[in-house]
Parts: sequence; structure tokens; C-alpha cells
Amino acid sequence: MADVIDLLPEWLPQQRWFGAKGRRIHGISLLADRTIMEGNPTCRHVLVQVDLGEDKETYQLLLGCRPELPERLVHVAIGATGDGILYDGLHDYVVTQVMLQMLAEQADEQGLRFRHLTEVALRTELTGIVMSAEQSNTSVVFGDDYILKLFRKVSPGLNPDLEISRALAEAGCTAIVPPLAWLETDLPTAASGTPGGTTTLGMMQPFLRSASEGWQLAVTSVRDLYAEADLHADEVGGDFAAESERLGAATAEVHSLLREVLPSRGADAEENHATAKLMHGRLDDALEVVPELAPFAEDLRTAYDALAELPPGVPVQRVHGDFHLGQALRTDSGWVLIDFEGEPARPLAERTALMSPLRDVAGMLRSFDYAARHLLAEQPAAAGLEYRANEWAERNTDAFCTGYARATGSDPRDDDVLLRAFELDKAVYEVVYEARNRPTWLPIPLGSIERLLR
Amino acid sequence: MTTQVVDGIEQPRDPTWYKRAVFYEVLIRGFADSNGDGTGDIRGLTQKLDYLHWLGVDCIWLLPIYESPLRDGGYDISDFLRVLPEFGDLGDFVELIDGAHKRGMRIIADLVMNHTSDAHPWFRASRSDPDGPFGDFYVWSDTKLKYEDARIIFVDTESSNWTWDPERNQYYWHRFFSHQPDLNYENPAVQEAMLEVLRFWLDLGIDGFRLDAIPYLFEEEGTNCENLPRTHEFLKRVRKEVDSLYPDKVLLAEANQWPEDVVEYFGSGDECHMAFHFPVMPRIFMAVRREQRYPISEIMAQTPAIPDNCQWGIFLRNHDELTLEMVTDEERDYMYSEYAQDPRMKANIGIRRRLAPLLENSRDQMELFTALLLSLPGSPVLYYGDEIGMGDNIYLGDRDGVRTPMQWTPDRNAGFSSSDPQRLYLPVIMDPVYGYQVINVESQMRSSTSLLHWTRRMIDVRRRHPTFGMGNYEELGASNPSVLAFVRQFGDDVVLCVNNLSRFAQPVELDLRRFEGRTPIELMGGVHFPRVGELPYLLTMPGHGFYWFQVSTVEA
Repeated sequence: MADVIDLLPEWLPQQRWFGAKGRRIHGISLLADRTIMEGNPTCRHVLVQVDLGEDKETYQLLLGCRPELPERLVHVAIGATGDGILYDGLHDYVVTQVMLQMLAEQADEQGLRFRHLTEVALRTELTGIVMSAEQSNTSVVFGDDYILKLFRKVSPGLNPDLEISRALAEAGCTAIVPPLAWLETDLPTAASGTPGGTTTLGMMQPFLRSASEGWQLAVTSVRDLYAEADLHADEVGGDFAAESERLGAATAEVHSLLREVLPSRGADAEENHATAKLMHGRLDDALEVVPELAPFAEDLRTAYDALAELPPGVPVQRVHGDFHLGQALRTDSGWVLIDFEGEPARPLAERTALMSPLRDVAGMLRSFDYAARHLLAEQPAAAGLEYRANEWAERNTDAFCTGYARATGSDPRDDDVLLRAFELDKAVYEVVYEARNRPTWLPIPLGSIERLLR
Repeated sequence: MTTQVVDGIEQPRDPTWYKRAVFYEVLIRGFADSNGDGTGDIRGLTQKLDYLHWLGVDCIWLLPIYESPLRDGGYDISDFLRVLPEFGDLGDFVELIDGAHKRGMRIIADLVMNHTSDAHPWFRASRSDPDGPFGDFYVWSDTKLKYEDARIIFVDTESSNWTWDPERNQYYWHRFFSHQPDLNYENPAVQEAMLEVLRFWLDLGIDGFRLDAIPYLFEEEGTNCENLPRTHEFLKRVRKEVDSLYPDKVLLAEANQWPEDVVEYFGSGDECHMAFHFPVMPRIFMAVRREQRYPISEIMAQTPAIPDNCQWGIFLRNHDELTLEMVTDEERDYMYSEYAQDPRMKANIGIRRRLAPLLENSRDQMELFTALLLSLPGSPVLYYGDEIGMGDNIYLGDRDGVRTPMQWTPDRNAGFSSSDPQRLYLPVIMDPVYGYQVINVESQMRSSTSLLHWTRRMIDVRRRHPTFGMGNYEELGASNPSVLAFVRQFGDDVVLCVNNLSRFAQPVELDLRRFEGRTPIELMGGVHFPRVGELPYLLTMPGHGFYWFQVSTVEA
């Protein structure tokens, strides 16, 4: 009979969170295989290494095994082994309850360390259910209270989301979701390169049951504006500016606290040059993929050069790193920022590097632009809508910056060289992304570049 | 079960009736005119009791009915023990009470305890005879330099809380208009006299009072003279007195304050039974304008718990305008910037308009608003005429625009009065959209699809589910921010309410795991919806649509 290692080559690439889809798998090996629960079901915590030739990726699995599967688990079956039928254990509340129990007990289980904040008493009787529609991780919601996110693709080291949200929570930040508990281990040398390095495997936070994504709210507002015949963005009932202003203030609170509690400094002149150089490099690559960018190339380079020539002392610090409307949740009491992981595709060192907080601001401004325009991409636009989209994006950009300035005393719009370069760089990235994935959306970032350069 | 005798008939006691009741606010002046003098009266209202009973009203709330020079809409009372002659007399009032009780309905009325009119005999006696029995009934002083920390409420018309009386040669204290002197509650005789007033009306059979301006009963140097502990002490005394002699009555606090401050007037269930939850109304408007639930979610999350035997009163519109004086600075900013600053809101809301014109006569919005009113926690208060979608007359100015005659029929004076049209206390609404030829009770009675019939059916559904009045409130997270979903639960009576605040159709996924295996039954039509499973429950909602589901234990 087969064992897990034989079933994975077929099963792994089918998983939504598998990052190397379409690439040839040279081999799969077990880095760690721990049985954390005996009986029916049995449960194994497994780390597998996928050899992709040039590089290797590590994935985390929680495998359940039962002699036969109840109906509710049939859809997550992996295959039959000598011990029974193997399945994705995160979908089994019996299995996930054991995880919750271990977090509550701060268990040490064969090198897996379950931890929670000392002042927190976790409720362990809650039933877990997997959240649908997640890209790169798998989250389990326990009752209405907790959400446990297990990282599927494991990056060696302390997870920046855990690191930052712990630091912010300890500093009393109200604009984030504090971590309650986490799961960590020391990766074998083969995976981490450095033996003994602590690696975060998952974290648990309060579940914000009544929260919604900023993107959903913004789109609601845009839709409202589009449906009006003659009203301006500041006149319609769905006006979003007050929310944008509060979101700006929440973002500023997070940035200020990060500057206080984690490293920060002024960048030297070389760093400005290096940043600009990276932007030039990304533009070079983009020009090869998207010829439509060519007319803007010269002006783009001028904007990047202006950044390179900035005097030393540009403040840099830890930032969110991948900030957009989908990373902000509106709760009953205000905005919170989530997912301080940086761009998941980048290496850890890059994600934790110190950067200008204006990069986050630029990310959000680009997101406003997308929110204002994406409905245009989906439905052939009436001529008037383009004007309305601009109006919405400008109004909310202003409101966000006003809120940010109110909370920090410094208005992002005053650093226009930096902010513009970051916005353009992000838009160039979007141009490439859209050209590859959603060609009908390509006009959105292209139009933005044109407007930003105007 | 305990019983009591009403009208010689033994009836079961119902001490929490006000928690399940649907209230209906009536202006006697504007409801029905029985004697053709152009002004509504008590007999007119009595003749319309069958209509209100048919509609499903449990309790009628009357504005002041007492004798008054009417310099402040009857809130300036010149005799607590007499009915304003143009409304009728005590005999008419007793008939009204009897008629209501026979139909299982109740009547409450406004009562102003804080002050009287300066035409009240107590005040006349007090100013002319400082040493007489009423000399100490009001708050007199030789100097204006007392209680200086008390704010002036009507800043537009009054420059001080003290006014000089040339007859007594002293200043008298008044928190409202200078023609409304404050009673002196330090004086035990005043307390006794006011309790006597309460007993007088309770003996006639009235079912309770809305106590007007109660935060201001006592004064104390060095305070803002509002919400003082002795005011609460006196209210506890009032409650005790009422409870001991007159079971199943209700005291409703009028305190235009933020819910976290208003809760003080519930005491520990030993002061007022009810108080208005003012911010719910503007937040509903705001949420529908914004097409997202957070304005409502926020205020519900901020609303403190209240004692078990207490209840909020909630409304969409009433005879007054919304005042923002009770809100904190931060909240005021929020309301102004998000609500009043919207030019269409500003122009339209003026906050002195009726529901239908505020919603641009949109039937589906009127239904959504009414559904929210009937399903959010608290006892709903309907404003007369809103059940047929009556309009207003903004040219009448002040608050009269929303106080025009009730529109009964398409006949002369809307069937309100047989008087000369010129003699009406206010003209009936005559515009082509809301005019009485179009909007009236008679024609809506005839059409089963009318707003009137719809409202009646909704009230009927509400009546069949005690959870709407008694149950707890829990908001469900919904994947779609335009959808407000909540559960009302009272024992086995579980109702799920899902509201689409957007004008566009919306899908929503609800986490209903707690009801796994149950079959939601839509309450208006009794339709069985798919059984709840482990996965998110998908509903598609039409624009401004809503669903009420009984989440039964039926296994389908």
C-alpha cells in the first residue's frame, strides 16, 4: 500500500496554496513527520520538501487518517494507505480541536512548540471550520472567537506578521488584530540553512466576525457613485471619504508605533540610489513584456532619478509591505490593518528590510485607484464614468492623506518625489501583472501612469 | 397566573407588555375631529380606535392633553388635572381609555414634571404670596448668581436660566422658556403634589406616562444641574408608588441623551421602564445612504445592556426633530460629517420631515426601514400617518410640517373634519404625490398591496414572535458589508433577520453553523428555505430587500 510520500506528487499540485503550480517536481521528501494524535482519527504533522530543481520549497501538512471517511470529509481525501484513508486534517474538527488544545496547554510535542500569550486563557471547546477561498495559507475559525492561520509554504525564520503584530500589540496599538497564540519549530538544517533557527508555522488571532474588507466597502461606494446621474463624489450618499480619512489615521498610528518599537533610521544616499536602481530594473523587465509602456519610459526614469538624488536622511523603518484595501478591515469600532507579511513571493530578508512608510501609502493610493476603476474594466464604460472614477480616487486619496497627516503631523503629499516614485513603481508592477493575467484590466495601471506623469 | 380586574373583567397580569408592544404616536389635534371645529379631539380618536386595533397597535402615545396656554405645544401646563378644552373633557378621556382597554389596547400620555406654565395657579400663588402654601413651589432667588454651571438649553430665545419677577421681586429658575418656571422638588409638598397628579390619571385608567424633561428636576450648586442623584431618588419613589398601587403601568423617560447616559434612568430596573434610543434612527438613514451596515453595527455595539424589565423605545420619525445635543463631540462630528453634511441629506432631512418624503417615496425603502424598526431591539413607535406613507408640508415651518391632519378619505378635509377647510388647525396635504386624494386610509384599505396592509401584516408577524420584543440581539458577520444580518433569540423563538442596505441586488454568505441542520422558514410567506449545513449559507437579496426567517428545529 502507498504512503503519504507516494500520494503527494499528484495531490500537492492540485492544492490552491501550492506555490509552484506548473513547475516540474523533481522530488518530494519528508523533512519531519510527527504523529501528534493516536486513535481514530490519527493525526500527523508533516513538513515536506519539494525539489523544483533550481530551488526547494517546504510545505506544512496536517494529515488525518481514518479507516473510512465520514461524508463531510470525502472531498478532502488524499488517498488510501496501509493504515486507512489519508485526508487533509485541517478540515476535520476533531483534528483541529487537538491543535487548539495544544495551543491552550502550550504543549511541546516532538519539537513542535505551541505557545500563547500568557495572559490569555483560550477556550478549547470551540469547533473549527476551514475558511474557504484562501490563496496561500489555510485558516481555521474556531467558533466565533479565533482564527488559526497555518502557513502552507513554510519560510524559515520568525514570521513577520507574528513579529510585527506582537510588537504592536505590546505597544498598545488599537489598529491591528493582536496575536493570541502561535505554533513554531526549529527547521532541520536542510531546510533552513541555519540549524536551530526558530520558524513560525502558524498563528492564531481573535476572529473579527463582523468585519469587512476595505475593498468591499470601497467598491460599494464606487458602485453608488456610478449609479448617480449628476452628483459628484462628495455629494452621493455612498461617499467613502470619511472612512478613507479614518483609514489614513489608523495607518499612521501603525507606522508611528512601528517606528518607535522596531528599528528605524535615516537612509543614506546610497540607499536612495539602490532603491531607484531596483525600480529601473523592474521597468527594464516590464518594457520587454509590455511594449505599451514604452512611451512613458523616459518620464518614469526621470521620476526614479529624482528619488535617487534625494538628500540622505529619508526615514526608513519596518512597514506593512503589501498594503492595499484588502489588507484593511472595517470593524464595528474602526479600521484594523492585517497581514504584515510583506509580499509573500519575496524572500524573508527583503520583506523585513527597512523601507520608507510611504511605500505603504503608495500601495493604498494605488488600491483606491483600482477600486475606482475596476468596474470600468468589467463593463464597457460610458464616457462620463472615467471622470467619476478620477473624482472618486482623488477625493479618497486626499482624505486618506489628510487622516494620515492628522495622526502623524506629516502629510505624505509633502514628500511628493518619494510618493510618486513608489506609486509609479507599483503601477509598473501592475502593468506586468495585468498584461500576463488580465489583459482587459491593463488600461487601469497604464492610465494611472499617464495621469501620475502628467 | 396573577390576575387583575379591568373594567370589571378579570384579566391575566402582563407586567412586561411594553416590551412586546407596538406603540403609535398620535397628535390628538391632528387625528380626527368629532365636532367639526377644525381641530382633532379625544372623541375623534375614540372613534378611530377600531382602525388602530385593526392595524395591530398595542399602545397609543398621546402628546400633552392638559389645559395649557399652548405657548410650547402643550408642554406648558396650566392645570394638570384638566383636559385642554378643545380636546374635550375628562369624561371623553375616560371613554377613550375604556374603549382602548376593551380592545386590549393601552394609552400613555406625556407628562411634564419639571415645570409648569407661568399661568398655572401654583405659580400665580407663589409669586403673589411668598409666605403662602405655594410660596416655596418654585425655585426663587434674590440673585442670578446661583447654579451658574447649568447650561442654557434654548440658547436662541433665552439669555439666562433666571428671570426677574417684578411681582415677587425675585428671580425664578427655568431650564426651558421663561414662561415655564421650574418646580422646586426640594419642597416635599411639590413631590406630594406631583404624585397626586400621577395618581389622578392612573385612577382614571391611564397605562403610563412619558415623563418629559426629567433630567432637570433638582438643582445643586457646583453641578450642571442635570441627572443629579436626588433626581434618581425621586424617580425611584415615583416608580415605587406606581408599582404598589397600579400594576402593569409604564414610565417612559424622555432624556435626549446618548444611550450610555440614558441607561441611568432605568436604575436597576427600579426607575423608568422605558427610554428612547435616539441614535438608532439617524444611523439607519446613514447606513442605507452609505449602503453599508457599519453605522448601525457601531451604535448597536455601543449600546449598553439594560435591566431585564426595561426596554428601549425606537422610532423612525416622530413629532419632533432630532437634536444632536446629547451626543459627544466625537459622535457629533461623525453625525455631521457623514450625515448632515451630505447636501441631499441636509436639504431633505432638515430633520423635520416625514418618512415617505425623506425616502423619496420609495416603497421598497419604506418597507426596509419599517422592517428594521420592527426587528431591531426595542419597542417600535410608529408615527401617525407613516403607515400610509403620508407626506409633509415644508412651507408650514417649524415642526408643523409633519403635524398636518391625518388623511382618512379622499373626501373634504381628507375625512379628518367636517369643518370649513379654512378653519382647519393646519391645511391638509394637497400636493399631487402625497395629497389626500392619493394617500388616504380608505383607498389603502381597499388595496391588499397597499403600504397600509403591508404594515399591518408585518406588525402581525411581529406579534407572533415574542423574540422581537424580548429576545437578545446578536449581529452575524456577513461577507457583504451592505448586508446587516442579525439573530433575535428568546428561548426557542429564534428569528434571523437579513437586510440589504444597498439599492443593488447583493449576494451574501452567512455563517449559520450554530443552526446546522435547521430549516429557515421565511416569516411572511412560510416558505421553507434550504437546510443550513456546515458551509456558509448563501442568500441573494434584491435591492433594499430583507428576509425574516424563523430558524425552526424542523428537519426538512
